Amino acid sequence: MKLNFKKVLGVSLMSVFALGAVHSLADVENVSAQDDDTLTIALGTDMVTFDIHNHVNTSTEAIHINMFNYLFKRNVETGEIEMDLAESYEIIDDTSWEVTLKEGIPFHNGEILDSEDVKYTLERVSSDSTLLEHSNYAVIDEIEVIDDLTFIIHTETPDPALLNRLARIGSGILPVDYIEENGFDHFLSNPVGTGPYQYVNWIRDDRLELEKFDEYFGGDISEWENVTFRVIPENSTRVSELLTGGVDIAVNIPPSEWERVDDNNDTYLAQTDSNRAMMIFVRHTEGWPTADKAVREAMDLAIDNQAITDHLLGGAGTPTITRVSPGTFGFAEELSDTYNYDPERARELLAEAGYENGLDIKLHSPRGRYLQDAEIAQMIVGMWSQVGINAELEFHEWSNFVELRNAGNNEDAFILALGNSMFDAFNALDWYDYERFEGQIDFYNEELEELLADAAQNMDLEEREQQYIEAQHLIAEEVVHPVLHLESINMGVSERVDYTPTMDEMIYIHTITKK
Amino acid sequence: MAKFLLRRLLQIIPVLLIISFIVFSLVFVAGDPVALMLPDDASQEDVENLRESLGLNEPFIVQYGIYLRDLLTGDFGTSYRYGTDALEVVLDRLPATLELAGLALFLSVVVAIPLGIWSATKRNTSMDLVATGAAVVGKAMPNFWLGIMLILVFSVMLGWFPVSGRGTFLHIVLPALTLATGIAAEMTRLIRSSMIESLSQDYVRTARSKGLKRNLVVYKHAFKNSLIPVITITFLQTSTLVGGTLITETVFAWPGLGQLLIQSVYARDMAIVQASVFIIASLVILMNLIADILYRYLDPRIKLN
Repeated sequence: MKLNFKKVLGVSLMSVFALGAVHSLADVENVSAQDDDTLTIALGTDMVTFDIHNHVNTSTEAIHINMFNYLFKRNVETGEIEMDLAESYEIIDDTSWEVTLKEGIPFHNGEILDSEDVKYTLERVSSDSTLLEHSNYAVIDEIEVIDDLTFIIHTETPDPALLNRLARIGSGILPVDYIEENGFDHFLSNPVGTGPYQYVNWIRDDRLELEKFDEYFGGDISEWENVTFRVIPENSTRVSELLTGGVDIAVNIPPSEWERVDDNNDTYLAQTDSNRAMMIFVRHTEGWPTADKAVREAMDLAIDNQAITDHLLGGAGTPTITRVSPGTFGFAEELSDTYNYDPERARELLAEAGYENGLDIKLHSPRGRYLQDAEIAQMIVGMWSQVGINAELEFHEWSNFVELRNAGNNEDAFILALGNSMFDAFNALDWYDYERFEGQIDFYNEELEELLADAAQNMDLEEREQQYIEAQHLIAEEVVHPVLHLESINMGVSERVDYTPTMDEMIYIHTITKK
Repeated sequence: MAKFLLRRLLQIIPVLLIISFIVFSLVFVAGDPVALMLPDDASQEDVENLRESLGLNEPFIVQYGIYLRDLLTGDFGTSYRYGTDALEVVLDRLPATLELAGLALFLSVVVAIPLGIWSATKRNTSMDLVATGAAVVGKAMPNFWLGIMLILVFSVMLGWFPVSGRGTFLHIVLPALTLATGIAAEMTRLIRSSMIESLSQDYVRTARSKGLKRNLVVYKHAFKNSLIPVITITFLQTSTLVGGTLITETVFAWPGLGQLLIQSVYARDMAIVQASVFIIASLVILMNLIADILYRYLDPRIKLN
């Protein structure tokens, strides 16, 4: 074997170029964000599945919303429920809703939407308990088909929130003939809906490509012929892609990157409140200090909510006293955009409760689950220490955190930030139901239990709204769980497009326009 | 030779079994996948129902037994995240990782061999100091940091390469450089020390005293005899490469096995984790086997048996 340095180097370099050439020839097409008709959006995690009933993932739904339609849709500006696939509806009795579909709505494969599609879709999720969205649809008993366009939704119990329920994750209508003919597995790899965009290609953990559906029943509503959702898990890489024009929109920009996005001439930071409220859940179990209202009030009064949003969330996020957010049915406006802060009074309350020499508690917190969660937990512990509450802070990896709570091993308090995809107070206030979190929270208030149980099935919507507002006041007076703030949605956007994120965290392609 | 190969191939079975048990145990104790699949406000009842339907209520040993039974029929199970056959998902990602790892290994060899030889022949000169210094720095830089720095300089500031993703040849340059740097540094140091040892041997002195050209002595006599440790380290880099791809693929959004494994560990997607580790372990074992066989050809004194 005769080795020569120059030969080795020469052969090596030639091989590199050869490899490069071969790779380039065999390449997948690289879609540039700067293509005039293509919109590129960078996500932090990949879409989970095309099984619309078997995920609870908001960022997955943010994509699906462009491919599938619900019977009803929530107007993101007014919060009103409007018709989407449905032409009209009528409440026949407390458990029967007659719905008529719009005529001639085509699926991406050319099939025309009819009542059988709705029956298949809604009965699938309401009857199969292994599906992740099942619990949100279990109230639906059956769909009675009247004719091609008319059907009656029968519910097990009166469900005043049905329209909200049918305007969220799991309500997209699927093509029954296509699925029965080809099987559900085929549907999963070749999904078909009625939305403004249709499926082209999905390379997992890399990109999902969609193209405009020319026969969309709503007409030509979008400026973009093609849309690419790219998966870029690392925050700084996602921001770098935005800065270099590789993508038009990058989601979930962490506060540490806000300056980089805002200072760049070609990009801007688009922020809005989400309906995800960060709260401190406390134990009401007898014998725990937090079962005492004075202690809970002291914990709440010691926290300067505005300081948290100002210093840790860069001024984004809105302090609030109620978990129910604006735009949600039953929202108590007077409890929003405000907070209670009075450290002096907090000290007095602690003394009155018998803790004049200080109170020792434990606070559990997830780390990396929510925006700045660990930093917020640390700041709260600091604020509490100023009034004599000595909190031992314990961070948990998410699944261990869930197990800790489900096993009832959580101690005095824990931090959670909860969203509300239904935009109905019913969904936001079920944490105050004793049975649901027995052994974990143990909060019981007879008046509130009755109020919430009544509102859950009250078909008189005006009265129901007042019941929820009353419930929120009761919850605030009892300081059941100190509420901190509504988290913000933070997206980086290229200057070539106009976009304002919406509170529901969906990405409606047609609302993104060229500048 | 055939006996040797058979013995080594049979050794793979217990190794893979042990690895599968360790990985299964680690993922089992790391947490409950159901907690990650349900919404944040899921009740205990929701959790229990899903656990039941996924067969996660069974004790550890029963779950492992079921897993092993299925494994014998080539069934790695179904991914929770993707709802499809785990092995299919893993094999789907393998080409991207092999492409990245292959180029990184190739770049490492291309840089390390000339640099190591050059450094050894210029021993204790300022050039040698620069080369060995560069090797130390290359080894010390974490992939994560280096990847982000390369993106900032070559993509954001200079605009020469795309930031992330898999597409044209330009897409692979920065991740391959990131992955190659640490390996090239390690190989350079090893080749240098191996060459220094070879160059001090009697046969080199004899060759020189015979009046052979310097290059002939260095490349034909000394370098060929330094190859055994070089081959060892090159093939052993397979596991280092796999470790590197976990980070590099995440930083550069490279849709390969490394990124899949990271996401699956986060999601406690046991089937994917098991299938990935199985494939990676098989690759590492295969590479070690090839290295052993190559020794035999390079140094006839080494007996395979």
